Amino acid sequence: MDEKEYKTKRAKEVAQLGAGHTEYKYEYAPELLETFENVHPQMDYWVTLNADEFSSLCPKTNQPDFGTLIINYIPNIKMVESKSLKLYLFSFINSGEFHEDVVNKIGKDLVALMQPKYLEVIGIFYPRGNISIHPTFSYANDEVEYQEIKKYRFLNRNLNPQRIG
Amino acid sequence: MQLTPLHVKENTTIQYMSHELLFLAQSGQPYRGTVYVNFSSIGETFDLLDFKKYLTSLRDKKFNAEDIAYEIYETITKSIQIENLGVIVDVTARGGIQQRLCYGAEFNAVQKKNIFQVR
Repeated sequence: MDEKEYKTKRAKEVAQLGAGHTEYKYEYAPELLETFENVHPQMDYWVTLNADEFSSLCPKTNQPDFGTLIINYIPNIKMVESKSLKLYLFSFINSGEFHEDVVNKIGKDLVALMQPKYLEVIGIFYPRGNISIHPTFSYANDEVEYQEIKKYRFLNRNLNPQRIG
Repeated sequence: MQLTPLHVKENTTIQYMSHELLFLAQSGQPYRGTVYVNFSSIGETFDLLDFKKYLTSLRDKKFNAEDIAYEIYETITKSIQIENLGVIVDVTARGGIQQRLCYGAEFNAVQKKNIFQVR
């Protein structure tokens, strides 16, 4: 595929990017997520997406929660389009979600969307009652090398715990 | 929303800060920001629980970003008697542009880290 063909194809794949009007949804809306084709599927490479403005509600008290989400993945055929990811993450604004649940929910939605080789979602939430919660979701497809990455990262997480500032 | 007044010693300089400001732009897009409030007491401050609820109440309200500092300023001045009130809001960048909105008396907003936030 030459560059012109690639650009035309990619432009057709994503509806929200560059659309004149953006509609924001305030209830959980996984249908907002869009993908485009990875043109380097023979390569293994990391993609990191940082979302510093994530907010949802406590499901018990309705008080707001805030946090940073870090999404790392090794793409296979499909890649998530970042504007659609932004809109999808905004859609949690009125959702009652425990930190541990929402990180897993987002991870599972992205796996279902992209079927990546490897994917992890790390939630770094603001403290509540002086306790901050940092859940990590991870997924690897069935291939041994990605299963090894998952195992290695799972076993080695926080060997050097972060310091409190 | 009305903030409940609380008694405090006169001539106390009080500064509050929150990294958890969230409101909506006119387009409906969420804005995140940090708010700083600074004033001199003439015998009153406001209840912090009320202030937290007030900030939380903004998360589904639409404002021009430029008006958010005034909105907070007005709510405080309608609730308690104080002097030299200043409000600063640092809004997170949109389209690569960072905004700082200031209303009222000038002051130096000291950026304090949340000491319990793991970096």
